[in-house]
Amino acid sequence: MIEYQKNDTMKYDTVVIGAGLAGLVTACHLAQANQKVLVIANGAGAMLLASGCIDMLGYHPTDSREPLTAPLEKLDDFVADHAAHPYHLFDKQQLEAGMVAFQQLVGDYAGTAARNWLLPSTAGAIHPTCLAPSSLAQGDIQPGGSMLIVGFKALRDFYPALIANNLNAQDLSLKAAALTLDLPKPVAGKTNITPIELAKAFEQASFRQTLIQTIKAQADGHERIGFPAVLGLHHHQEVMTDFQKQFGKPVFEISTLPPSVPGRRLFEQLKQRLQQAGGRLIIGSKVMDGIIVDGQVTEIRMQTANRLRPVRAQNYVLATGGIYGGGLQTDDEGHVWEPIFNLPIEHTTNRHDWFEPKFVSSAGHPVSNYGVQVDGRLNPLNGDGPIATNLFIVGSSLAHTDWVSGRTGDGVAVTTAYRVKELIGITTS
Amino acid sequence: MNRQHLDDINLSIWEQVQNSADLCVKCNICTSLCPVSNVTDKFPGPKFVGPQAQRFRNPHEISVDESVDYCSGCGVCTLVCPHEVKVMEMNAKARYKLYQDKKSIPLRNRLLGRSELLGQVGSGLLAPLANFTLNFGPMRLLVEAILNIHRDAPLPPFSPKRFRSWFKQSQARGERLQAAKKVVYFHGCSTNYYEPQVGQAAVAVLEHNGYEVRIPKQVCCGLPMLSNAEFWAARSNAHTNIKSLVEFVKAGFIIVGTSTSCILSLKSDYRHILDIDSEEARLVAENSYDICEFLLELADTETLKTDFQSLDDTLPYHSPCQLRAHNMGLPAIELMELIPGVTIQHMQADCCGIAGTYGYKKEKYQIGMDVGESLFNQVKATGSEVAICDSETCRWQMQHGTGAKMIHPVQLLAKAYGLGDF
Repeated sequence: MIEYQKNDTMKYDTVVIGAGLAGLVTACHLAQANQKVLVIANGAGAMLLASGCIDMLGYHPTDSREPLTAPLEKLDDFVADHAAHPYHLFDKQQLEAGMVAFQQLVGDYAGTAARNWLLPSTAGAIHPTCLAPSSLAQGDIQPGGSMLIVGFKALRDFYPALIANNLNAQDLSLKAAALTLDLPKPVAGKTNITPIELAKAFEQASFRQTLIQTIKAQADGHERIGFPAVLGLHHHQEVMTDFQKQFGKPVFEISTLPPSVPGRRLFEQLKQRLQQAGGRLIIGSKVMDGIIVDGQVTEIRMQTANRLRPVRAQNYVLATGGIYGGGLQTDDEGHVWEPIFNLPIEHTTNRHDWFEPKFVSSAGHPVSNYGVQVDGRLNPLNGDGPIATNLFIVGSSLAHTDWVSGRTGDGVAVTTAYRVKELIGITTS
Repeated sequence: MNRQHLDDINLSIWEQVQNSADLCVKCNICTSLCPVSNVTDKFPGPKFVGPQAQRFRNPHEISVDESVDYCSGCGVCTLVCPHEVKVMEMNAKARYKLYQDKKSIPLRNRLLGRSELLGQVGSGLLAPLANFTLNFGPMRLLVEAILNIHRDAPLPPFSPKRFRSWFKQSQARGERLQAAKKVVYFHGCSTNYYEPQVGQAAVAVLEHNGYEVRIPKQVCCGLPMLSNAEFWAARSNAHTNIKSLVEFVKAGFIIVGTSTSCILSLKSDYRHILDIDSEEARLVAENSYDICEFLLELADTETLKTDFQSLDDTLPYHSPCQLRAHNMGLPAIELMELIPGVTIQHMQADCCGIAGTYGYKKEKYQIGMDVGESLFNQVKATGSEVAICDSETCRWQMQHGTGAKMIHPVQLLAKAYGLGDF
């Protein structure tokens, strides 16, 4: 094991590059373990467009139409079929530990790695997921029964009728009905409203009161009431408690198209946890390059508004994501590269081979698997061994993490984040 | 078009901004975090008005971009975009085109753009009269009726004594430190005409750390004119400042400022929005520092004096949008937390709503107050009588929204050093 030389000029214990799910969760775990942590991100992460749920394993085989209800039981099979997937780096206990640590970090996430919730999506399809905010988890279709799905004309990307019809068209022992309403004051008359703006309106008691009166009359005979995920932003719990009480029956949320309010709630929560633990966050600054000397990263340089500024730490975490997140770059000649440390990325230079003919292909697109190859310590590899032993790769920056097929992306982010804490703890103790 | 090509091809800074529209993947992260579009539908959001509309903008056709006028220019979109789209910069330019095509900029906007002229008229001997007039309800109704400046907008009181006169007089009295280590101080209009105490605290803190402070010739940074679409006037001010400051930079000085937005203009806006692509502009940009950034670098190299008195205070702090756009983190927090006994509560808010001159305008005042509501509530919930913010217009808005006494971080430092209560 490598022992680090204490260097007084180092400013941080760990610098995390990237503020998506993997980056922020890593940073929170490390800061809570009393590390001095800095997160530098070139923009906010994809969490703001995601469902806010943590998907660990949704389908196996990945082209199966049957969502998994007990994902851990299929994990060995999944890893056997996807030998290079980052899950091969962990055993089941480590995976579960990562999920539990995430739940402890954020609070109010219901579920376990052992079973999946099956949640209605904004298109009325089924979304298998392990951990979900309680408000979304209450929409689980497995108990069956009847539900009323409520939407608003001005929230244009959420169609209760589409959701209800699609749910009813599947054989789910579930009966769904739809209700679309005009918005009451103070947002009455708007022809278009963003989920965030609507979430803020829901935080006003008078707004809720008018809606409750309108909906109650229609909700008779329905066991549950589903809303777009806009039930409060900063005061979500308060809104939920009030609704459950007033309706006298379970109320749940369904993830919307972006902007995602549950994604925003998670983002705000992680930012807050990081700050409470003394961590620092810079969003909007690009890390231009990193220097590796004798198997150690010695420095990275970040672009401030007017100059390049060197930042030093004992350990560095790369959480910049894949091609979509900007962690990898490409050009029209088919090159793919990792722009900060210039880590090797296995890829084909024939761009035709990057894609499947179908956009939503259950087999996944090869391009989604491009990323950094690592060893068991999450250190980047070249042919000879680790490139830098104080550089850890997490989340979608890793090779073979295709987060679309199989739905493993969040699980990879959350478990690698937790693993880094263990690894850094081991090295410095 | 990918990022590498943008870097490789020798494009002007503005062309790079414009072309960055092609990097937008419509992910909506900016819409998710835009303070304005999340409280009003008058602004459809940064994605629509920025990169999406950019594709249809033809420099030879009349602008139809009425909604871009509702962008507050806070810049959150540019910061949070993971794909390096320069959304705010694009919008600033589109607003410029809108008013250019209208062939008239409202008198109100011209006035708000001239904080320096207003300061010259109102501060000094005339301050009591000017302040009385501006606090006089019927007068504000008249101002609202004629100029469309909202009657309740937080106009700051003029100072009876200007910062520059104080500095010159104290220099004449031999009170100013002379030393080998020197910085130039860019005070900006707010310090000169409204809050000289901020400049006095800055000078005291810099001198306490052994730096001689020089006050070079300077005019308004131009940002108020820039955000009110008067690019030519802003550019003229920029050139004046660059010309004055570059001489100091060439002589080895660095530039330090207490106004978040003035320093951001020097660091970035002159080049990225006003398209001033000269070597002099680059030198001034690279050698400009926010005062807390400068002091924290001293702390990092263990050359900052740490003879602080314990203050035993828990204080709310808001990091303004313009400060976050410096991309340097939040040096004020780290710095203030060096003071024994001080705990800083960082407010979880993206924007106070004022966005420079935006929240003063009659038609935008309520939007500004709605944007700031969450921040105001958080500050009020702390029960603290004093709150801290780096940026002057944000301080005035927060004072208006919360009733708390607002100070700049450097005022707290000066107090902790025992240099006085500024």
